[in-house]
Amino acid sequence: MNKNRFGKTALASLAAMALLSACGNGAEENGGASTNDSGAGGGKVKLTLWHNFAGDDARAKTVRAKIDEFAAAHPEIELDAQAIPVDGYRQRLSTVAAADEMPDVFLSYAGSHIKGFQESGLVQPIQELLDAKPEWKDSFLPGAFDGSTFDGATYTAPLAMSATSFLYYNAELFQQHNVAVPKTWDELMAAVDTFNKAGITPIALGNKAPWVAQSTILGSLADRVTGTDWFKKAVAQDGAAFTDAPFVEALGYFKQLVDADAFDKGANTIDNTQAEQVFIQGKAAMMVSGAWTLTNLATTPEDTLKKIEVTVLPAIAGGKGDANTISGGPGAGFALSKKVEGDRKQAAFDLIYAISGPDAQKAIAESNSMVMYKTDVDSSKVTSLYYKAFELVKTVGITPVYDAYLSAEAGEAINNGLQEIMMGAAPDAVAKNLQDAQARSLNP
Amino acid sequence: MPASLRSNRFILIALLPALIVFVLFAVLPILWSIYYGFFQWKGMGDAKFIGLGNYRDMLQDPVFWRALRNNLILVVSAIVGQIPIALAGALLLTANTWFNRLIRSALFMPMVLSTVVIGMIWGYIYNYQFGLLNQALTLIGLESWTQAWLSNPKLNMYAVSIPINWSNIGPYLIIFIAALQNISSEIHDAAAIDGATGWRKLVSVTLPMIWGTVVVTIVLCIAGSLKAFDHVIVMTGGGPAKSTELLATYMYNSTFAVYRYGYGSAVSTMILLISLLLIGINMAVTRRKSS
Repeated sequence: MNKNRFGKTALASLAAMALLSACGNGAEENGGASTNDSGAGGGKVKLTLWHNFAGDDARAKTVRAKIDEFAAAHPEIELDAQAIPVDGYRQRLSTVAAADEMPDVFLSYAGSHIKGFQESGLVQPIQELLDAKPEWKDSFLPGAFDGSTFDGATYTAPLAMSATSFLYYNAELFQQHNVAVPKTWDELMAAVDTFNKAGITPIALGNKAPWVAQSTILGSLADRVTGTDWFKKAVAQDGAAFTDAPFVEALGYFKQLVDADAFDKGANTIDNTQAEQVFIQGKAAMMVSGAWTLTNLATTPEDTLKKIEVTVLPAIAGGKGDANTISGGPGAGFALSKKVEGDRKQAAFDLIYAISGPDAQKAIAESNSMVMYKTDVDSSKVTSLYYKAFELVKTVGITPVYDAYLSAEAGEAINNGLQEIMMGAAPDAVAKNLQDAQARSLNP
Repeated sequence: MPASLRSNRFILIALLPALIVFVLFAVLPILWSIYYGFFQWKGMGDAKFIGLGNYRDMLQDPVFWRALRNNLILVVSAIVGQIPIALAGALLLTANTWFNRLIRSALFMPMVLSTVVIGMIWGYIYNYQFGLLNQALTLIGLESWTQAWLSNPKLNMYAVSIPINWSNIGPYLIIFIAALQNISSEIHDAAAIDGATGWRKLVSVTLPMIWGTVVVTIVLCIAGSLKAFDHVIVMTGGGPAKSTELLATYMYNSTFAVYRYGYGSAVSTMILLISLLLIGINMAVTRRKSS
C-alpha cells in the first residue's frame, strides 16, 4: 500500500513533466485522471473522457461539437471531457496507465497503442455495442477493425482512416516545367532532376519528428518492393528478416531520393506543418503526405488549393507488391476502461456511439477528414482537394503503415535510421538496426 | 541552553512545511526513480526485476555515450561562454548610468522569455531555406558558408549550444553585479594607493574577493547544463538521428517514445550520479585554488 503511494508521487512528477512538454496549449486542464466512483452526487452518472481533438481544425471542432451535443442531451450524465493536445497525448495516457488510473473513455490509436492497453488488462472490448448496432458495424470499410481486434473481440471503432502516403503535386509547376506526373520510378527521378535544375525543391519533407519519412514515404515504397506478406512475416520474425535483400533495396530507393537532392537540406529540422507551407506556397513541386494534410490545408484559399492534385507513389519495376496502393489503416477510436461497469458502462456505450456513430462519421468526413466508413460526402461541403483524395481512395488498395505494426523500439530504430540515411548512412546498417530492435522486442 | 533549544525547535517547526513539500516532491520521487531503475517495465503491466541490467544496456548503448559527450560540450561551452561573458558584462556595467541600465536589461532579456519561444526563434534563425543566418551570410557574399545548421551532425551541437548560453547569461550577470557591489570601497581605495589598476587589480584584488561567487556560478552552470532539455527538445528533438541527443532528452525519449520506464529511470539516476561527480570534481579543484 505504502509502496503504491510513493509510486503515485513519482508519477505525479512524471505527469508534471509530460505537462511541461505539452505546455503552450491552453486547451487542457490540469486534472487528475479518472474518478472511478460511480453515482456520487444525486444519482448522477460520472464519466471521464480524454481525447486529442484539442486543435482549431475542422475535424477537432466537429468532434468537440458532438461531445457537447451528447452532454447537453444527457443531463443525467456528468461528463468530464478533456481535450489534450496531440503532441502530449500519448505521454499523458501512458502516465495514467502507469498509475492504473485510466479515464473511463479515451481515444486510442489502432495497432500497437491499443494492443498495449489490452495486454495490460486496462481496457474492455466494445464488441457488445457493435453487435447491438449491426447496421453501424457493417458500414465500416473492410479492415476497419483489424488494428483493434484481439482474440476475436474489438476494442475500438475507428474515427478516421489514416491514409499516410498520398503523392500531392502542384499541377501548375508540373505544367510550367513540362513534367509529366510520374508513373514509374525513373520518371520520378527525372522529375526530381528537372525541378532541381529549375531551383524548385522537388519534394517537401518535414522530418523533424522522425516518424514522417517512415510513415509517408518508406511504408508505401517498401511495400511496392517487398509485398505485404513479406512485411507481416518480418514483423512476426517468422521466415523473413529486415536484413533481407528486398528491404535493403527499398531503403536504397529512399537513399536514391536523398542522393538526388529530392528533399531540402534542412528537411530533418523542419516539421511537417512547415513543409506543408513550403509546398502550398509553390516552393516545392511535390509532397508525400497523409490524409492529415487534407485537413491542415482545408483553410487554404480555393484558388491556390485547386492547383494541387493527388495521386499514388509511382510503381517500381520488378517489385513484388501492388503499385496502385497507399499505406494506411484504421485510425484512432474510443476505448473503454476495464473499470467501467453497470450504469456507467451503458452511459459510456451511448457516449461512444454518439461520437463515432453514423452521424458523427458523416460529420467528420465532411470536415475534410478521411473515415473508414461508407458514407456519402456532399462535395460542396468539402475542399476540392479533399474530394479528389476521397474519390482516389475508393480506387486504390491499402497497405500497412510500418509503425502501426512494428514494436515501439523498432519504430524508433527505423525512424532514426531514415534520418541517418539522409545524413549519409548505408541502407544495410539501418536495416540491421531495425532487425535487431524488432527481434529484441519479440524475445526480450 | 533552554533558550537555544527552544529556538531550535522553532526553527524546526518553521521549516517543516517546506521540508515536507521538498521530501514529498523532490526526495521521494528521486528514491522511487532509483528503485524503478532496477526493473524492466513498460509503464504498464508487471515490472520485472533485472538488477543492474538497465545500467549494463546503457553503458553498451552508443547513444548514451553520444548524449553524455553532447552534455559535456554544453558544460564546457557554459563554463567558457556564460561565466566570462557575464563577468565581463558585470565589470563593464557596474556604474549605474542610463546606458548601462539599458545594456543590462538587454542582456537579461532572454531570461524572461520562455525557453520554448527561444527555441523556436533560433530554430527560425538557423532554418536552411529562409533562416536569418543563411540570408545574412548570402547578403555579405559568404554564400558558400551557408549550412543546414541544425542538420549537419558536425555542427549542430555547437549551433544548439549558442542559444542555450545566450539565454542563460542574464542571471549570472546579476549574481556577479551583486558580488562586485559587495566589495567595500576601502579595498578599492587601498588598491588604488598601492597602484593596482586595470588587469592587475582584476586578477589580484577583484577576482579573489568574488571567488566564492565564481565557484557557485560554475556549480550552477554544471548542474544547469546537465539537465538541459527544453531548448534542444524544441529546436531538434534530439535529432536528426540522435546527433543532438542529451542525457535528459535520451531519458525522455526512452521513457515516453519507446516506453521503457525502468530504463528511463536508470538514465535519470545516471544523470544524478554524473552531476554529483562533476560538481565534486569542481569543488575539489576550486577549493585548492582558493586556499
